[in-house]
Amino acid sequence: MSTDDITDDLTRNTENAPPELLTRAFFFLCAALSIVTTVSIVLLLVTEAAKFFTITAPLMGIDGPTASVIDFLTGTKWEINNGRFGVLALVSATLMITIGSAVVALPLGVATAIYLSEYAEKRHRAVLKPALEVLAGIPTVVYGFFALIYITPAIKTVLPGTGTFNLISASIVVGIMIIPMVASISEDAMSAVPDELRQAGYGMGATKFDVSTGIVVPAALSGILSSFILALSRAIGETMAVTVAAGSQARFLNPLNPAAYQEGALPMTAAMVQLLLGDITGGGLAYRSLFAIGLTLFVITLVMNVISDFVARRYREEY
Amino acid sequence: MATGTRPDVIESFGQVNKTVGTVFRYLLLAATTFGIAILAVLLLFVFDDAVQPLTADPGWHLTFFLTLVVPTAAVGAYLYRRREPAFRFGASALGLLVVSLMFSSGMAMVLVDIVAPISVFAYTLALAVPAALVVAVERYERRIPFWPRLVIAVGLFYLSLFGLPGFVGTALGLPQVVPSLASLVVGLPVYPVDWMLVLGSLGLVVAAVVGNHFRRLRDRRTGLYAAGATVAVVAAVSVVGPAVGVTQIPAAVLATVTLVPVGAYVVGTALERPEKRLGIAFLAVTIGGALVGEVLVGQFGFAGPQSWVDWQFLTSAHSRTAEDAGLYPAIGGSILLMVTVAVLSFPVGVGAAVYLEEYAPDTRFTRFIDVNISNLAGVPSVVYGLLGLGIFFTYLGQPTGTVLMGGATLALLILPIVIISAREAIRSVPNEVRQASYGLGATKWQTVRNVILPQAFPGILTGTILALGRAIGETAPLIMIGAPSVVFALPTELSSAVSAMPLQVFAWASLFAGPDFYQKAVPAGVVVLVGTLLAMNSIAIVLRNRYEGGVATVNE
Repeated sequence: MSTDDITDDLTRNTENAPPELLTRAFFFLCAALSIVTTVSIVLLLVTEAAKFFTITAPLMGIDGPTASVIDFLTGTKWEINNGRFGVLALVSATLMITIGSAVVALPLGVATAIYLSEYAEKRHRAVLKPALEVLAGIPTVVYGFFALIYITPAIKTVLPGTGTFNLISASIVVGIMIIPMVASISEDAMSAVPDELRQAGYGMGATKFDVSTGIVVPAALSGILSSFILALSRAIGETMAVTVAAGSQARFLNPLNPAAYQEGALPMTAAMVQLLLGDITGGGLAYRSLFAIGLTLFVITLVMNVISDFVARRYREEY
Repeated sequence: MATGTRPDVIESFGQVNKTVGTVFRYLLLAATTFGIAILAVLLLFVFDDAVQPLTADPGWHLTFFLTLVVPTAAVGAYLYRRREPAFRFGASALGLLVVSLMFSSGMAMVLVDIVAPISVFAYTLALAVPAALVVAVERYERRIPFWPRLVIAVGLFYLSLFGLPGFVGTALGLPQVVPSLASLVVGLPVYPVDWMLVLGSLGLVVAAVVGNHFRRLRDRRTGLYAAGATVAVVAAVSVVGPAVGVTQIPAAVLATVTLVPVGAYVVGTALERPEKRLGIAFLAVTIGGALVGEVLVGQFGFAGPQSWVDWQFLTSAHSRTAEDAGLYPAIGGSILLMVTVAVLSFPVGVGAAVYLEEYAPDTRFTRFIDVNISNLAGVPSVVYGLLGLGIFFTYLGQPTGTVLMGGATLALLILPIVIISAREAIRSVPNEVRQASYGLGATKWQTVRNVILPQAFPGILTGTILALGRAIGETAPLIMIGAPSVVFALPTELSSAVSAMPLQVFAWASLFAGPDFYQKAVPAGVVVLVGTLLAMNSIAIVLRNRYEGGVATVNE
């Protein structure tokens, strides 16, 4: 079994022996693959999206129909058949899903984190944590079906004006599926708060409630905020639940108007799925618009991930 | 002083604060269970729609309640109170039975409809023969330098799998001179019947594992007996199977993958740990109760529930009517995708984790890789789908929606998760073990191979299973690479079009939207999909709990 050959010269230099070099090269290539992945995502999205816009298409050698960058970024109508590609119609729906799921997930997630980190006994935690993981493990298409078949009818009994496809039910299920993310990252931050701070609080006569809300939460604030941003970036990229439950009609809605959530709309990710389900793989403007939305989505989520990382690092209290 | 830090003393300062604290505590608990409770209710609804337990005869419920639920609960409660190790043993044997049954049905499906048993046999043989030769060469002469040894090993495997000049020659347009061992076996004019081929490939592997297990428990002789018993059981079940209505391939697979491993686990534990023997009673009462209940129900003519998750649903393809629609091609597609994803992502993910934890110098470049991986974990799955579409379809000109394309895309998607969890597992290997290995004169690669990877393996496996669960639940990347939502035949090659369970469910829920599909096919599909995922998650959690303290045993 073992490869050590005691008859060999023990003093020889083994660091650059062939097996060492080969295996190290293999491991390095595996790690470098992640860079290759990122670079190919960026290159692919940028080059394909460049073929979509009027301003950059000539550089790519494309002379078909194109769309103007200004119209893309400021237009509020998404009508592929009429050649109108206003991404704001999609962004508004995505924003509404994000706001709606934040309303559900952020308070619940933080409350869960406080309970797990400060209150729960060990054996309760051993049951609750895997159960919460299951929330994130259910396939998103299943959540979409739940929203469409069970949650929407329930909402309709309360708010009769709600459409079959609506943003409320989609937001609720997206919120439920990102609770574990908020909870686990926030809980890590709260557990990292040193016990001396809590003991000091108790020494001053504070109750457990005071200590939790007045000491632990403020001390873990950077971690909690970074969990919010990460979870919301996940909500923005969430696809199947919104595709099934939010509808297929692209329209520009005002995210600040609560009544608008009763209507259906087309978030960015759902628009991509819809484009693909129609037969557009032959190329053309619709096919390239796919990569333009993809680039928008990638940039938004990347920026949010970077901000979350920055918040976690920059504002972390060092003890 | 001491009392100053006791919260109960402080809380008695004011009654008002105590109320606030209690209310707060219960609010937190409510918030924690809110999501779980909602999901539980939704799952209950969908289970009710799919299985319709209330359509069964009350007599059916009563029979199974009396034969299965009551005895199992009674024995289980007794063991749990009095003999907890025995209860744990019984429960894990039951869990192993369920999981291995799922495993063997998947494998039987693959052998019946995707890969012929003769090819599996041929490739097992084509891998085993050069492996044996390589070991023999090393035994005979231990001092061959590295490069010749590598050339011999690679050459033997190449010759056996591809022949001469093999696929390199085909690419250059050379004619095949020496056929490969694999093609020789496949091309044999006569070969044994299917169950013998299953026995010759899967069966011998399982027999070797079982034999080794018993050799470790007792001695060499017991090991040999166990291996012989394995072969005998598989042969017997395969011969008897067709007589009771199970065709030979499923019978052989069932014996190899379910009966033998569960039997070996039960017998081995019962031999070694007498205090756990009572756990067998739990297993026996559960299985016996189910069988007796089945017989009684048939005897009295009680009708079971009109479940949409039935044999017909699991074994037929999509149809325009919800009653006839089935999930079979999608299940096969999911299995093939899962195998492809595991093969592609496991070595690369573990390799990257080993590099980052063991080899990487602390440079800017390493930190860049680090940040990059955590950012990749946050990239939406649709974007990975676009990547797959762009690379394979736009630039490489491949047809859309193939097994390879889907597998590669999903593998890239879960790679960051595999890497992150594998790094955690590797990091949890104590540093003393590493230093001890280096102290014995081992090189880095020897330390990684003989010390770090074996110790970190359970953790790596847990993370990979969870990541694979994520991969088979993904729909969006498959839609983006153009996987067809309706497929009528199982994919048989890496280049055939593939559907998957979540994709089929999506198709029923959107393209065939209507009350009929909403109430029958979709809930049934959801139950199968969620059941598979929950089974995978539980395997991962059990593995994690069982091996959580595994590293510490080294210090004993």
